[in-house]
Amino acid sequence: MVKYLAKRIFYIILTLFIVATVTFFLMKIMPGTPFANQQKLPPAQQAQLAAQYGLNKPVWEQYLLYLVGLLHGNFGVSYQFSNQPVSYLIGSRIWVSIQLGAEAMVVGVLLGLIIGAIGAIRAGSWVDTSATIVSILGVSIPSFVLAVLLQVYIGLDTRILPIAGWGGFEYTILPMLALAAQPLAETARFMRTEMVDVLNSDYIELAKAKGLSKYGVIYHHALRNSLIPIVTIVGPLAVNIMTGSMVVENIFSIPGIGDQFVKSIMTNDYPTIMGLTIVYCLMLCVVLLITDILYGIIDPRIRITDSK
Amino acid sequence: MKWNSFAKLGGVAAFAALVLAGCGSSNSFNGGSSKTLNWSISTELPTMDISKSTDLYSGQTINATGEGLLRYTGNSKVGPGVATSYKVSNGGKTWTFNLRKSQWSNGTPVTANDFVYSWQRTVTPKTASQYAYIFANIQNAAQISAGKMAPSKLGVKASGNNKLVVNLVKPQSYFKYMVAMSTFFPMNKAQVTKEGSKYGTNDASLLSNGPYVLKNWNSTKDSWYLSKNPKYWNAKNVKLSKINFTVIKDPSTALNSYNGNKIDYTTLNGVQVKQYKNKPGFENHAEASTFYMVMNQKKDPIFKSADARKAISLAIDKHHLVNTVLADGSLFPKGFVASQMITKNGTDFADAASVPEAVSYNMKQAKALWAKAEKATGQKSFNFNYVADDTTTSKNISQYVQNQLEQLPGVKVNNQNLPFANRLNRQTKGQFDITVAGWIADYPDPSDFLDLMTSKNSYNYGHWSNAQYDALVKKSESTDANNEAARWSDMVQAEKVLMKDQGVVPLYQQSLATLTRSNVKGVLFIPTSPEIDWTSAYMK
Repeated sequence: MVKYLAKRIFYIILTLFIVATVTFFLMKIMPGTPFANQQKLPPAQQAQLAAQYGLNKPVWEQYLLYLVGLLHGNFGVSYQFSNQPVSYLIGSRIWVSIQLGAEAMVVGVLLGLIIGAIGAIRAGSWVDTSATIVSILGVSIPSFVLAVLLQVYIGLDTRILPIAGWGGFEYTILPMLALAAQPLAETARFMRTEMVDVLNSDYIELAKAKGLSKYGVIYHHALRNSLIPIVTIVGPLAVNIMTGSMVVENIFSIPGIGDQFVKSIMTNDYPTIMGLTIVYCLMLCVVLLITDILYGIIDPRIRITDSK
Repeated sequence: MKWNSFAKLGGVAAFAALVLAGCGSSNSFNGGSSKTLNWSISTELPTMDISKSTDLYSGQTINATGEGLLRYTGNSKVGPGVATSYKVSNGGKTWTFNLRKSQWSNGTPVTANDFVYSWQRTVTPKTASQYAYIFANIQNAAQISAGKMAPSKLGVKASGNNKLVVNLVKPQSYFKYMVAMSTFFPMNKAQVTKEGSKYGTNDASLLSNGPYVLKNWNSTKDSWYLSKNPKYWNAKNVKLSKINFTVIKDPSTALNSYNGNKIDYTTLNGVQVKQYKNKPGFENHAEASTFYMVMNQKKDPIFKSADARKAISLAIDKHHLVNTVLADGSLFPKGFVASQMITKNGTDFADAASVPEAVSYNMKQAKALWAKAEKATGQKSFNFNYVADDTTTSKNISQYVQNQLEQLPGVKVNNQNLPFANRLNRQTKGQFDITVAGWIADYPDPSDFLDLMTSKNSYNYGHWSNAQYDALVKKSESTDANNEAARWSDMVQAEKVLMKDQGVVPLYQQSLATLTRSNVKGVLFIPTSPEIDWTSAYMK
């Protein structure tokens, strides 16, 4: 297990390095300057500013300087927010995004499992049909449409929950629901299909034949085995939430990093683009690592210690 | 692991989510009390460092927390600020400002040296200010920002604590507007030095000499407030005790928040303008900003012909463009210089210099003129790359323009809608046949626009050149610089020459459409930055 983890962490570092390198060079190909006032800056002044920030150096030299900074844990200073270190910029916003994402993931997956399981147990009934409809809607309505609908009909019309902003728990409910819809729907769909399969399998017949109660069979045998494929989609779902949050954070005026990412690209804010790319990449790698570890825990046939 | 463990795991996760939820920062959307103004703003404030600020919103906030020598008091009007009076001498090249006794928010006096320090700091190359160029007409500024001279040589001197003497390179009658811009506000040296690289990144690093002080702010925050500055010299006329700000980036969220009584003010986008233009609280403010088409004479010889340029203009119905295609409150373009920006004796510059045929629509005449120009070049077919921004507004305009121009004989138009940085890059490199450029004036003087179209100006993307125009602009800046009437007349003539020769094709003038609650009074709108001033705002 330790060996496996060490190997995986090495790969994560390698991935981060490659992603950072590719992003750095792609970013330098983008036209324009990081200077917000570039339209009005006389060419001489632009050159002066570029020299001040070291942007007139060859790209490979800038890249090496960036890497050296990175190794010292220095993400650089934002151009857009002058004098603001990128690490502070990300640090002060990332927990908001993580909190929202985690809430959406937990609520979405748990509800999805329950809805999917009920649908499978009562396959063909009206409960199953409604569960299917819910999951089809959840998959097909984009999070930003749902976000706007929730905002208008629940936030503005009923005034039960805040329209937008970030404060206590009540502020997280609407954006969380908007983000949770997709994982909920995906999980419910997978869960239902898997569970219907499992419920028809021989060992369930055997368990029933042994005289176990219906719920005993479902609880002890069917649920656990149905979970295995669900774990495979948790990774992609987490990615979905990360990308979805860029828009949803914007709609609900949430001070997270999603919106920051888009803005940094639009303004050529090089250090911020790099910092956020690395952070997103790291989050993704960690989610995938956790998924792989979960696999082993849920399915004894996949032993992490076996994979060398 | 048994299923039980899974249930526990889920429970722990759900609990964790709830605990995390409790950790969120508070203080978003303070409810609507009648004494406090609740304002919405579409982006964070990137900086409050006077030398570094480039965007409208930090400029607005600096204008609320600081004060320059003079202060904007309305359309093209400035009134006393830190300076009670000023005198222009030496043929318009020396400006002497008499400063009142006033204080920073920590009680130390605001002196002439605070201005000297601030201006020197901004032009110093190491500061890397993106607005240093605006000081170019102050003696030695250009050499200093090029790193060839010491900042202390800048043509601004303190004579005692309450007198500031500025020496200009050439007379500049609109210097009075410039000293009202936030870039020219004073800075307290002791404070800036003490805070170092933290200066301007949070409210504690700042000192105010204006109507309000900034509270609960750092540059990543999405809510903060302005509170009345008791040390402001004119504090007795500041009626609001507090203005709350909330960042709302999405226009429909902002509108929902307004309708939900969470905020007292919001800006409107195109679709919203259509719904709200007849509702109470709607206002449409002209901005000192013109969007115009430029034709590349270097790439396409046909555009050297005035007939061809006129044909392009006549083929586009600007009324239709503004009222139907855009329909977002944008205004019909009276000419190149924005309207409602500056008046003289009650006459708007744009009206004084109006050349109606340069902005009118007549497709029949356009076709005839184009055919004539085409004949002169001998070329039969034209394939034009039309370069514009990739915003929805800009794409709609592109489609309309393409549709109109393709009605001219032999013309095919290829739309290229690009991100801003890309579009600008193409323009400066001359990689376009026709393009749309936008200009927002820094100060309300026609020269801010007119300079752009002089032959050697780097913003003259299409390389239109007219000796008479160049001479008039030059005259307005030299021989007539100190003669207000003659200067005005030069500029009016110059604009007329530009329009008659169709050096550019004005498309529309940008505006700011807003919704404000009826009990909010006294908010001042200015067509140039900072656009909004809350000094005299009050709530009924």
